Amino acid sequence: MDTIIEVEGLKKSYKKRRSKEFVHAVDDVSFTVNRGEILGLLGPNGAGKTTTIKMICGLLIPDSGSIVINGINSRRKRLDALRHISAVLEGNRNLYWRLTVKENLDYFAGNRGLSRKEVRVQIEDLLKKFSLKEKQHELVNRLSRGMQQKLAIAVAMLADSEVILLDEPTLGLDVETGYEVRDLLRSIVKDDNRTIIISSHDMDVVQDLCNRTVIIDKGKIVTNDKVENLLRLFQVRAYTITLGGLLSDQQHQCLLQKFPQLEYTTDTIQSTLEIDLVKSEEIYDLFDVLKMENTFIESIDRSTINFEQIFMKIVKEGAEGCTG
Amino acid sequence: MHWLNLLKANTKKEYIELKRYLPNTLAMIVTFYAIFLGMFAGIQLIGDPSTQDINIQYAIVNYIFWFLAMMVMNNIGWEITNEAMRGTLEQLCMSPMGVWRIMVTRLISSTVLNFIVIVALLYVSMLTTGQWLNIDVLTILPILMLTLISMFGVGFMIAGISIVLKQVQAFLQILQFILAGLTFIPLSVAPMFAYLPFVKGVDLVRNVMIDGVTISHIGWESFLILGFNAIFYFALGLIIFFFCERIAMNKGLLAHY
Repeated sequence: MDTIIEVEGLKKSYKKRRSKEFVHAVDDVSFTVNRGEILGLLGPNGAGKTTTIKMICGLLIPDSGSIVINGINSRRKRLDALRHISAVLEGNRNLYWRLTVKENLDYFAGNRGLSRKEVRVQIEDLLKKFSLKEKQHELVNRLSRGMQQKLAIAVAMLADSEVILLDEPTLGLDVETGYEVRDLLRSIVKDDNRTIIISSHDMDVVQDLCNRTVIIDKGKIVTNDKVENLLRLFQVRAYTITLGGLLSDQQHQCLLQKFPQLEYTTDTIQSTLEIDLVKSEEIYDLFDVLKMENTFIESIDRSTINFEQIFMKIVKEGAEGCTG
Repeated sequence: MHWLNLLKANTKKEYIELKRYLPNTLAMIVTFYAIFLGMFAGIQLIGDPSTQDINIQYAIVNYIFWFLAMMVMNNIGWEITNEAMRGTLEQLCMSPMGVWRIMVTRLISSTVLNFIVIVALLYVSMLTTGQWLNIDVLTILPILMLTLISMFGVGFMIAGISIVLKQVQAFLQILQFILAGLTFIPLSVAPMFAYLPFVKGVDLVRNVMIDGVTISHIGWESFLILGFNAIFYFALGLIIFFFCERIAMNKGLLAHY
């Protein structure tokens, strides 16, 4: 796949005001973004994702490392690189509230050096696509939060840039508008051949929209993988087995030896095994132990895990790895 | 062509905002007129009656230039502060045209639009006082153009400082009195002030409007000073602006709210 953004060895440190101590907000971050994909840039608060986004947008100068956007090194040719990227960083705060919907679109197009004639058709299309046509003469401060958010994305689209960066695109939106924005973003990639980078805490949105995620914690990348791979990786191993009786001591000891992470809970007439398998085939070892005393299996459930849980696990494991 | 599109977009925005914030705009004009009335009353009440006419004429020119200086130089500082608070400054900084070009077009468009207000204020002041000044457009225009370029330079310095400093409001409030001082000081009192951004320009316009001096009477050395000031301050303003922009981009100060 064709790469449109290459981030290599990005570093950024800040000096704390009071203690004068250096904080490594971003520490040697490298990843690529493919043309036509939706990439999720995730991380807990203070992980360094906003700093990374702002460096990609050319709003923050990195201490070291490089950012290449569509073949242009943004540190050397910042303005040229900005022709290929646009962003919605603060949602509705990126707009002029005392201008109308259409005036905002006109103004931001002009600010990129485009004439009204050049963008007239595009503005009309965007107003229709984003269902803002009826509100085009309405002041932005009179629009709902959802409409403001849609307008902010439309403004970013207007730039004709190949890459659009969105920071929390569904924050504060009601469920219906949230889904509407998701559909819009999907169509932007599919119909308009754009590439989107999303930073969000809404894991539902990430799971639904993103092809791949880069998870950052404490300024470092902890995971860079496809969403489906992460889901598969975590889901395939998690099983809940309900037994129609209790395990014998021998069986219990045997299982604990093979699966130290095993969780065994008992009820009066049945018991439950919760187990994370390293390999799918290990389930046969489990069955062998159960067969020893013909223990009746009532049900086997593969635990469903959503992306939020995966995210929490990855970040937790990353934190434990750092402290350990 | 990109420049022209940029200028058109910013002129339209400035015009819309001036119109949409009409009560604010009118209040500003009325306040300025009230200040002028205060100056006029002061000259009439406690001024030397033998020099009253000339003092009033001086007051009109100085006060009009003070207003111009405020509109051109101080306004850009307020605009930057407001944009940073609103969250739109980052969007401006992401324009491939470069934020400095946006600022140039903002300075030009706000000057052109405010010029209409300034001309209206000038005629109202002349009407109020009954002192009719010499409005020799051909002589005033080149002086004004060169003076405005140096004012734009100072505007850029203020814009740069406003990007870096969060609490710039107090500085901007003090600055308006410094600007008043510079427009009111006659060059005969402090000849070296000719090399300050706009003092020479104000002095020459005073000569034209009050003493009826024409372009042929103004020596080339005066235009040389004006030209030097225009280039020097505009270049210095840009350098300071770029320097401040870089500091802001290093420290992440483009969105301080």
